[in-house]
Formats: sequence, structure tokens, C-alpha cells
Amino acid sequence: MKAEIIRVLRRPPFGQALTLSKVVLAAYVLLALAAPAIAPQNPYDPLQIYGWEASSPPGTVGSGGFIYLLGTDGLGRDIVSSILYGLRISLFVSITSATVAALIGLTAGVSAAYFGKWVDVAIMRLVDLQLSLPTILIALIAIVTLGPGIDRIILALIIAQWATYARVVRGIALSETGKSYMDAAKLMRLPTSRIIFRHLLPNSIASAVTLIPIEIGHAVALEATLSFLGLGVPMDKPSLGSTVANGFQYLLTGQYWISLFPGLALFGLIASINLVGEDVRRRLDPRSRSI
Amino acid sequence: MALVTIAMGRLSQTFLLLLVMSLIGFIGVHSVGNPVFNIVNIETATAEDIRRATIALGLDQPVWRQYLLFIGNVVTGNFGTSYIYHLPAFGLVMSKLPATLELACIAMLVAAPSGIALGLLAGRRNRTFLDRTILKASVFALSVPSFWLSMMLILFGAILTGWFPSGGRGSTASMLGQEWSFLTWNGLWHLILPALALAIPNIALIARLARSGTIEVEQLDFTRFCRAKGLSPHRILFRHTLPNISVPIVTIIGLQFGGMLAFAVVVESIFAWPGVGKLLIDSIQLLDRPVVMATLTFISVAFVALNALVDLFYAVLDPRVRLSA
Amino acid sequence: MTPETTHAPLLRVNNLSLRYLSASGPVTILHDVSFELGRGEILGIIGESGAGKSTLGNAIIDLLAPEFQRATGTIEFGGKAIDAADGKGSGGIRGRRISAIFQDHTASLDPLMSVGAQVEETVLATNSSLSKLQARTRTLELLARVGIPEPHKRHRNYPHQFSGGQRQRVVIAIALAGSPDIIVADEPTSALDATVQKQVLALLRNLVDETNISIVLVTHDMGVISEIADRVVVMRNGQIVEQDVTSTILDAPQNEYTRGLLAAVPRLRTSRTVSEREISKTSTTPFAERDREPPILVAKGVSKTFFAPGLQWGRLSGEAGFALQDVNIQIPRGAITGIVGESGSGKTTIGRIIAGLDTARAGWVKIGESDFDVSRNGRRTGLLGRVQMIFQDPAVSLNPRTTVGETLRESIRFGVSPVSGEEPPDMGAMMDRLGLARSLAGRHPHQLSGGQKQRVAIARALLARPQIVIADEPTSALDVSVQAEIVQLLKESVTERNISMIFISHDLALVQDLCSTIYIFRDGRVEDFGPSDFIFSHSQNPYTRSLIDARPRRFTH
Repeated sequence: MKAEIIRVLRRPPFGQALTLSKVVLAAYVLLALAAPAIAPQNPYDPLQIYGWEASSPPGTVGSGGFIYLLGTDGLGRDIVSSILYGLRISLFVSITSATVAALIGLTAGVSAAYFGKWVDVAIMRLVDLQLSLPTILIALIAIVTLGPGIDRIILALIIAQWATYARVVRGIALSETGKSYMDAAKLMRLPTSRIIFRHLLPNSIASAVTLIPIEIGHAVALEATLSFLGLGVPMDKPSLGSTVANGFQYLLTGQYWISLFPGLALFGLIASINLVGEDVRRRLDPRSRSI
Repeated sequence: MALVTIAMGRLSQTFLLLLVMSLIGFIGVHSVGNPVFNIVNIETATAEDIRRATIALGLDQPVWRQYLLFIGNVVTGNFGTSYIYHLPAFGLVMSKLPATLELACIAMLVAAPSGIALGLLAGRRNRTFLDRTILKASVFALSVPSFWLSMMLILFGAILTGWFPSGGRGSTASMLGQEWSFLTWNGLWHLILPALALAIPNIALIARLARSGTIEVEQLDFTRFCRAKGLSPHRILFRHTLPNISVPIVTIIGLQFGGMLAFAVVVESIFAWPGVGKLLIDSIQLLDRPVVMATLTFISVAFVALNALVDLFYAVLDPRVRLSA
Repeated sequence: MTPETTHAPLLRVNNLSLRYLSASGPVTILHDVSFELGRGEILGIIGESGAGKSTLGNAIIDLLAPEFQRATGTIEFGGKAIDAADGKGSGGIRGRRISAIFQDHTASLDPLMSVGAQVEETVLATNSSLSKLQARTRTLELLARVGIPEPHKRHRNYPHQFSGGQRQRVVIAIALAGSPDIIVADEPTSALDATVQKQVLALLRNLVDETNISIVLVTHDMGVISEIADRVVVMRNGQIVEQDVTSTILDAPQNEYTRGLLAAVPRLRTSRTVSEREISKTSTTPFAERDREPPILVAKGVSKTFFAPGLQWGRLSGEAGFALQDVNIQIPRGAITGIVGESGSGKTTIGRIIAGLDTARAGWVKIGESDFDVSRNGRRTGLLGRVQMIFQDPAVSLNPRTTVGETLRESIRFGVSPVSGEEPPDMGAMMDRLGLARSLAGRHPHQLSGGQKQRVAIARALLARPQIVIADEPTSALDVSVQAEIVQLLKESVTERNISMIFISHDLALVQDLCSTIYIFRDGRVEDFGPSDFIFSHSQNPYTRSLIDARPRRFTH
């Protein structure tokens, strides 16, 4: 009886929610990959869009011969199709930026920890500087500096995110450097490259990898926010965030579907990434505190 | 003694931080586009018009000299005149400040107590149904992008139900020479939705931090020792656990208060709240350089001040810092 | 000192069995444990790691995690069962009748509350009828009783302003605050230096003799047991293997395991057991004989300053004091030299500087004919790699992501080769010699026991073919029985391979057996040095004498 209670108590906090979010996340990725094949409409192709069908409510039968399941936006684009194509852009931007940021952060963090002294001071002052400001502000400044475009927004996200990885990796790498197996490696007079790549990096890399899913989630939200503010991806190829933004003005006049459904899709995406990301971190890196 | 040294160290770092911030911001804004075309009409202007406007704005100088001039002006509190409003840029930012401040303060007044209470509750009842519910809710709350949260608040709180206004500041009353919304019922009514939009993610963040801190502290030897020496759970919670988790919580409250100034950019834009954040976005879009610079500088100063304040607070809270001699 | 046998015992544990509900099913932690504790008695519970001794202690104070489940048995206090199986019912007993002392004095105290307040809240919690003023008076009495000087001033101080020994005294004061009948002390002195440990043990003995309370003393250290316990319970794998009066356990143990534990305790020989012939052979004047053969390593004028950790941000650092001050040592060829000191004495620092891992402020190290400036980076001067090290904690001395074989092959490939054309050493033969099965070469460190890991670390050091090996507390993270095997291996390695070794330790008895020469470090200086037997029998240095006196008498001859 008591054993049963304890088994229930010890169950990880997100049992079913976690399973659900894994399924949802897999579905998102598949949908994004298959978007051109399954979307009823190509929202980038003006010939497929009928302007007179702008702001049709969900369920309207369109001239294209299919039903606008979630309605159309202010330009007459099918919301379902916009979500599918927007998903592609959001995922591409965030996965690319989070991965590149991880690589840069890993390199910077390991270098700071191993070489110490001025290398450490230089890298970590920059990291401190960046982390003392909110990411959204850094991204805002970066995008204002860099100008519009998908490549620019990826760059802005990398600039905004690398510091997080660098700080975490440096902390782990520093504690690894203090362990005596690193001293033993130094006593063998191993070449510096071998010490770093055979001993330090393999033991620090997990800390960066475990952060990637969570940072992808942050990147999706950041990109969406920038796009919403009109500073993100160009309007002719909208991401989920810009699709929501397009519908904002119609929200006040009661045409809620234009921003509600893309927003729900965005929220589901971020929530499932966050849940899976938390789980990955909990599993791989028990040292990390769950904040 | 040590405290003074810490404060001095922080201040010197502050100085560096501001310098780098301003440089980045300056170069950034400089490269966005030629602000001359906000002053003159591109279609009709002659080369002579453009030349005159360029000199008038000081844009004919090399970039480094413009920056030095700018730094000199910043030190004297002079950010130049807004290209759009033709008012001193810094004064413009200051005039928008009360709106942002009251929004952030109200949001934090809601977020901090409820976040701490939820976190303590979840941490004390670790692994129970209540804990899992709070944890799940916090993950979802942190997953909602703030712009969409704001829009949903408008949709459900204003458009569908009509309970609250969908934007604007409402009526204000005067205090200390500034206009404040929270002093009138109507203003307070307008404050609720945007303040909630700012508060909800912070409730989640503070709750998670308080929860993990509580769990961590309760596993420490001294809480075990407190139980062994016969203290009541109530006393352990309020006299030992709470003070020991307060350092990270104060940190996050300080930093998030600054974070609210940044997120106010989003929330203020959506709720048409005439604060510093809306001013920043509007100015970026209008290439109103002096105002962008003044706003960014102001936000960084606010940040640095908060950071320093949080550091000093450590010393008040932690005798290991206060009494290290 | 003999417990009263006529009255009912104060505490009685009857056939106690405990299970731990782990993820993979219940594991038996305690099996059918029974013993009694009389009034005014110190009962020692001794065992190696995993014996279940701490779990037993926690069961008595009722601080077990909910995953522990009582299978059978009762714990009776004053003839009445406490803590029924439902987990509550200890109300009023805990803190008031039974209190506790934990090992880690730093973690036991709330860092944010003054020690006086922490004692006072316990006084009030256990005796609610007292007024604030009475509680304050009682607090000061308690602090004075445990030997805190000037309690009327120091009660306002915070834990970090006390030394380790004083913190443990404060913890004892808190344990005494409710005038308990029993104190459960879990490794109360294991985190303390030997000299401080001696004083704290004396305080505990004194409290028992004066106030007639009883102590359950959980420890892994036979020395602690021999110093103050009246009776001993020997535990192994959750079971009691033997229990008796301390003198019987020490002098005539019945059980094989107990005998093994006792045999593994290093014993210190002082003047009376060392024959005069032996002394005159090695040393009437230190180093007289060894002057003929030049030492393999000489360290001259090594100094190192340490920096105060810059509170939070590492920027306030300034030179705060000497970690090492003008240290001179000579390491004779083909022998083991001991460096002994308490924590903070600089013994580990000098080892790391000699190995080239740390940079000193000033000083020279001479190995053979080569001179190295230790104030410069060891990799640049070439000092790094001349000396190999065996580290204290085997858990972190092997790269967790490489196999044993990879680690050892790396050592063969990159280790220094002093003579050209020499055969590279054979990894398999080395593993055989050190008692490591060759099949372990494919394993990762987490699949090895502590003793196996330490053997791999020794193999790694030896395979690099060094002339000098530094062993930094190589046995202190291991169980007593494993310690002896490792020490034996180190001793044999030195003679078989004709290498020289520096053995860094806090344990006098251990270095006496191993080392021909001993340096005693204190506060970053060489306090005393000389041939081993001379140090232990004839040294007039008061610090050396106090270290020797701090050893448990039972294991000093």
C-alpha cells in the first residue's frame, strides 16, 4: 500500500504530458517537412490567392475548390497553408540559430575554461555583459543593426543566444578542468589539442547539447516576437510569428481566426519543445538545476 | 568595507557596460538608413536641401566624431532633438517613463508574491499532485510568447467579454508633476490587462525558482538538523528555508523588473500603452535616431542600476558577504 | 563506566529490519538489528561504507526518507515503543529526548542566522515555558559549556566566522539545548583535523561523564571508537556481526571481519618500540648517511601566495597570505618520502608545484642535473611530465568517457621515455602486477570499484615510466581494508622499479610504515623533518609531539 503510494509520488512530473508533447513535436516536424505536399494552397504564389476571399471565416468554401478550414487572412491566404509554411520557416530559423549558437558557445566556453587568464576574462566579460541584458533586447539591437532578412534574423538570434551556452559550458568545463584526470593528462604532456578534444570536450559537450532543445524553444519565441514587431522575416514569406502579427489588426474587429489559430500552433510548438527539452536536460544532465 | 569595494567594482563594470552598449547601439542605428530622408521629401528634395539637412543633423562628420560628440552629449544628458517630434529626445523618453514604470511596478507587485507563494507551496509538497500542477502550469505559461498572450488577453478580456478596455491608458491623475493611471478607477481598469500580460510569465519564472530553491534547501543538512533539533515545520519554512532561497529570488526579481522594461516593448505596442517601449519601436520604424539612442541608453542605465541594487541586496541578506573581513 | 544492567535500558532496538524502496525494487538495508543503550553510555556503531550504520542512526532519530520502510522490529525509548510504523508519533521525542549531531558542521548550521539565535530557537522549541531572557541565559551557558570562548560576545557571530572545530562545538550545544537523554552522533569528528578531533571527542566524553546522557556514535574509524566508546556494535552489509564491550572488541574480537578491520588500522610506533640499533643505523643526525648519494629531487625556497577568493566576482582578490613560505625539501633516491600535515598546511600545494601543475611565486626544483624555475609555467620549463601523480579521489582521477585500456595506452604512448631504445612497457603485464584483470581494459571508470580505479591510476602513473611519483592521499577515499592493499602495492612498486616516491598524507601511522624520511608541514612551512623513526621517537618539536599525541592511544605503541 505504502509502496504503491511512493511509486506514484516518485513518478516524473510530466508523465502523460511528456508523451503527448513528444507526439505533438514529431507531428510538427513531419508537417513542416511535408508542407508543400499537403498544404491545400501555396501562400507564396499570388496566382493561388483570391483577394476577394479575404478574411473569410473558418469553413468557407473557397474558389480554389477546397474548404478554408481555419478561414483566410486579410489578403485571402488560407490559414492552414500559412501555418504549415510558416512552421517551416520558424523551425528552420530556430534550429539553425540554436545549433550554430551552441557550437560557438561550446568553443568559447571550453576555451575560456581551459586557457583561463585573459582569454577567460575577455570571453566572460562579454558573456556577462550580454546576459545582464534580456535576450529580447539583444536580439532587438542586433536586428536593428543588421537589417531585415531571414539570414539576418538567424544571425541576430545567434548573437542573442551564444552567451547562454558559453556560460553553462564554461562552468562545466571549469569544474572538469579541476578534476584530477585533467591533471593526469597534463602530466602526460599530451598536446594541448589532445587534452581539449580527448579529455575536456567529451566531458563538457553534454552540457551544451542538453541546452539545445530549450534554446530552440526560446529561438522560436524570439523570432516570432521580432517578426511580430515587424523586425523579423520579410512579410512575403511569413513565419508563424508574422502570420499572427498580420491578424492583429483584424482581432479588434472580431476576425479572431486570423491570429488565433496561428498563435495556437505557435504556442503548441513552443510548449512541446519546452517539455521535451526539459526532459532531455533532466535525463542527460542531473547536475543542472531546473529553473 | 568589503561592501564598498563590491559596489565600486560593480560601478566600474557598469561604466564599461554602458560604453560598449552605447557603441553597439550607435553603430547599429547609424547603419540602418539615412535619417535625412525623414526630414526632407525624397521625391522633391534637391541635392542642396539634402546637404543642408545633413549638416543640420551633424551627419557630415566622420562616424567616430559623431560618436564622441554623442558621448559628450550623453554625459551632459543631451541626446539631441527628435527628428519627428522636434522635442529633446531625453525629455521625450522621460515623459513616457511614468506609464512604463507604473505598468512594470503593478506587474511585479502581482508577480512576486504569487510566484513565491506558489513556488514554496510546490516545493514543500514536492512530487505531489499540487506540485505537478504548478510545474505544468509554469511550463505552459513560459511557453506563451508574450505578444500572443497579450492578444489573447485582449480577445478574451476585452473583445469577447467586454470586461476590460482593449488598449490605451484611460484617465490619469497628477502626482509629483506626472500623470498616473493607477490613481483613477478608469486608469486602473486600463492597467489590468497589460499588467497581467507582463506578470504571468514572471509568476511562472519566480514560482519555478522558488520551488527548486525550496527543494534544494530542504535537502541540505541544516534543514535535516533543524528537524532533528525539534523545530516546527512552520518555523523551519519561514526562518530557515525562506531566507536561504531569498538570494536567487531577489536576483530574479531585480533582473526581471529590468526584463519587463524590455518586454514592455511588445506589451505596450499591443495595448497601445504610451510608454517607453512603444516609443522605442515607433522610433526604430521611423528611424528617429536620437530617440532610439536615448531609449536604449536609458534602458541600459536602468538595467545596470538594478544589477547594482541586487548586488547590494545580497550583502543585506547574506552575512557571509556582509561580514567577510 | 560500566552501564547499569539492573534497570531497563534507555533505548532498545529489537530485530529491526529496514528496506529501501528503490526504482528497481526493495533493497534490504538493515537486517534483524538488535541492541541496547544504557544511561550514561557511549555506544559505538562501526562499519565500512554500505554497512547501514548511518541508516540505523537516522532510524533512531526518525529522519529516514519516506522511501525507507520498516519490515520488522521496534525501537523502544524508556520502555515505550516510539515511532510506530505509520511514520508519525515521534512528536516530543525528537529534539527533546533524542537529538543529533551530523558529520558536516558547515552544512548543519544555517549560514544566514547567528549561532546564538540558532541555539536559542532550539532552547525555545524544546522548552516552551522559558522566557526570552531565560532562553538567552541558557544559550550562553550552553555555548560556554561546549567550550566557545567569550560566549556573550560570540553568540552574535555567524557560522562562517567560526573555525571547523568551533562550529562542531556549536552543533553540540544545539544538540544539548533540549537536555536530551540520547544524542545520535553520525561521524561527528570525521571532517576535523586530528588535533581538533581529539578535543571534540574529549568534550563528548566529558559531557557523558558529567550529565549522564547517552551517545550513539556512528563512525568508520576504529581510532574514534577506541578513544571514547564504552561498547561497540560492529556492522557489515546491514547486519550486526559482533557487539561487546570496547576492550573486548579491541583485544579479543571473536569475528573474522572485526579482526580484519582492526588489523587494517595503521599503528603508530613511538620511541619505546623502536630499537636503538635501528635508530642509530639511519639517523643520529638527519641526512648524515644520505649525503653520500645525491637526492633525486631538491626543492629550494619554494613560496606561494594565495589569493582571497574575490567575494563574488573574482575582482577583489589581493595577496592574502602564504600558502607556502620558503619551503626546502630533499627527496632521496629509491625511497618513499612522507609529507604530513593537517588541512591547509600546504602539503598538497608543494606536491602540485613539484609536479609542475601549479606555478609558485618563487623557488627552484632540481631533478637529477636539471634545474627548473617553478615560478614559471611547468609546461614551458619542461618540469611538467617529469613527475607522475596518483590522486586522492579515484572517482575523478579517471576520464569518465575513456576506457581503462585507452587511458593506459595513452600513458604508454605519451609518457616520458628516459632511455632511448628501451622497450615500451607492457600494459597487460602491468595490469597483472597490480591485480587488475586484463578484461577490465574495455571497461569505463563507472564500472569499476574504488580500489580498482585507484589501481588503474597507479598503472597509469607507472606506465609513463617516471623517476618520481607523487601519491597525494591515495588511500583516504577508500575503505580501510582496501587502503592496506593499495599501500602495499605502492611500497612494492617503489622497490621493484627503483623509483622514488613522495607520499602526501594526514595520517602519521601510514607514513611511518611507508616512509624513510618525513617532512611535517604546518601553515605552509616545513615545521619538522628527519628520518621517519627519528621523528616519531626523538623529535623535540612541540607540534610534532601534539600530532603524535592526537593519535588514538590504543593504536600507538
